[in-house]
Amino acid sequence: MSVDLQRWRQLVRPTVPVLDFHTHPVRDFGPYPVVSAAADAAVLVGAARRAGVLRLAVSSLGPGCPPTPTAAQWRAANEYVLRMRDAEPAAILPLCYVSPEFPDAAAREVERCVRQEGMVGVKLWVARRATDPGLDPIAETAAALGVPILQHAWLKTEGQMPGESFPEDAANLARRFPGLRLVAAHLNGINPRGIEALRACASVCVDTSGGDPQNGMVELAVARLGAERVIYGSDAPIRHPAVMLSKVLGARLDSAATRAILWDNAARLLPSWANVAPVPGGG
Amino acid sequence: MEVIDTNAWFGRGMLGPLPGSPDEVVDAARAVGIDRVCLTPLDAIWYHNPHLGNDELYRIADRRAAVLPVPLLDPTIASWADELALAVTRQAAMVKLAPAYSGYEPAAAEPLLAAAEAAGMPVVVQVRVEDPRYHHPRARVPDADVAAIARLAGRRPRLRLVLGGASTAALLAVAHELRDLAGLFADLSQADGLDAVRRLVDAGLLPKLLFATHAPLFAPLAGLARVLPELDDVSAAAVLGGNARRLLRL
Repeated sequence: MSVDLQRWRQLVRPTVPVLDFHTHPVRDFGPYPVVSAAADAAVLVGAARRAGVLRLAVSSLGPGCPPTPTAAQWRAANEYVLRMRDAEPAAILPLCYVSPEFPDAAAREVERCVRQEGMVGVKLWVARRATDPGLDPIAETAAALGVPILQHAWLKTEGQMPGESFPEDAANLARRFPGLRLVAAHLNGINPRGIEALRACASVCVDTSGGDPQNGMVELAVARLGAERVIYGSDAPIRHPAVMLSKVLGARLDSAATRAILWDNAARLLPSWANVAPVPGGG
Repeated sequence: MEVIDTNAWFGRGMLGPLPGSPDEVVDAARAVGIDRVCLTPLDAIWYHNPHLGNDELYRIADRRAAVLPVPLLDPTIASWADELALAVTRQAAMVKLAPAYSGYEPAAAEPLLAAAEAAGMPVVVQVRVEDPRYHHPRARVPDADVAAIARLAGRRPRLRLVLGGASTAALLAVAHELRDLAGLFADLSQADGLDAVRRLVDAGLLPKLLFATHAPLFAPLAGLARVLPELDDVSAAAVLGGNARRLLRL
């Protein structure tokens, strides 16, 4: 039997460049065992390419993803991501993961990772909520270096971890540091209530990563925040890159908004050494 | 080739505005190349008597040729046998059970499953409708037990049963049953994660996998995105419609 699915395959492929602002190593979240950072990069980038993604920002939370890592653990995680970057330099944009439980050490790690290793941003997860003053040295350093912070945020009905930030916490961080480039992760997790908490904080973007491909969420975020404040992210390998991309491709948006979400908004946030420029002719 | 969505809904849902009218759901499906939609009333999962949502479904199916009606049945409603008989008369594609929403254990469905088996009616058992992290805090419903559902299928060799909305991990955990039970199938509406469909195919499950969108809760394009990047055309065609045609005897 011969079949030709080209018509359907074209529907799920992007027609504009795509940068995925939120991914993790396969080592951290499966589903395969990987023998090295290079092998990890190959699997992750391969999946991204099959979905039509050109570049991906990667942060490691370390093997087993301890919610309150030691400084040694997040340094090792950052070294792993740098090796992934070295294996796939055209694709991978490394983010520096630190914990606000060690504020000064974290700030030094951000300095090292950005100045010496060319990392392009900072990832914060669930060790402390974003309202915690332990974030202050990290935020000050990131702002001074001109790199964004990707701050995990979620409003869960069940399973909220003690140090897991609510969307309001990201808003709090943005108000404390108005010059900071801040991305609140997980649009679906932020949910419509969280969108309203972030609406007045014009410096905060949200990424689309994680959660199910819920109908209408991207459109809601664009309507309430503006297309310039929505950034594509997948949370791969936890989520399938193509499924997450379909949240945007399947949304009822104009082409300018789609292009902004999939590339230009990230390009605007990332530092110059990321070598990510807005699409020519874009908004 | 015909693309058949084996698990979609119409209705408003509980958590926010949805493009969930029957025509919106069917039109959105057709816009992404889906030919036929197995449709169930969404809001009826919350009704005291879920059967009361089925009349509208049959009216929709009479009006839209693309709709394959899948009425919602509840084996704890005293008149379930009448509702099953109506489904047979109205040539429903399948009947759907949502045990977690009606508060019964899957084993309570055994008499209904026996009757469905005797009538030659396929049954889809819905494992999850919404991610528990996203539930309204006053309306929390656990996932149904996939292993328990698979065991029920194992006791009915002639029953065609679909695991509806199960995760990739849950499907891999019952891969043995899915391979070995001729009538057991799984839809992919909520099977996510890196290379999810390819992993399920590598587990020997290709003939048992069914394309499904979970629209309007999920964007229908996402259902296609789960399948197409992972599979060659022949395998994808089986998932997108060939397996459903076999299940539904179309």
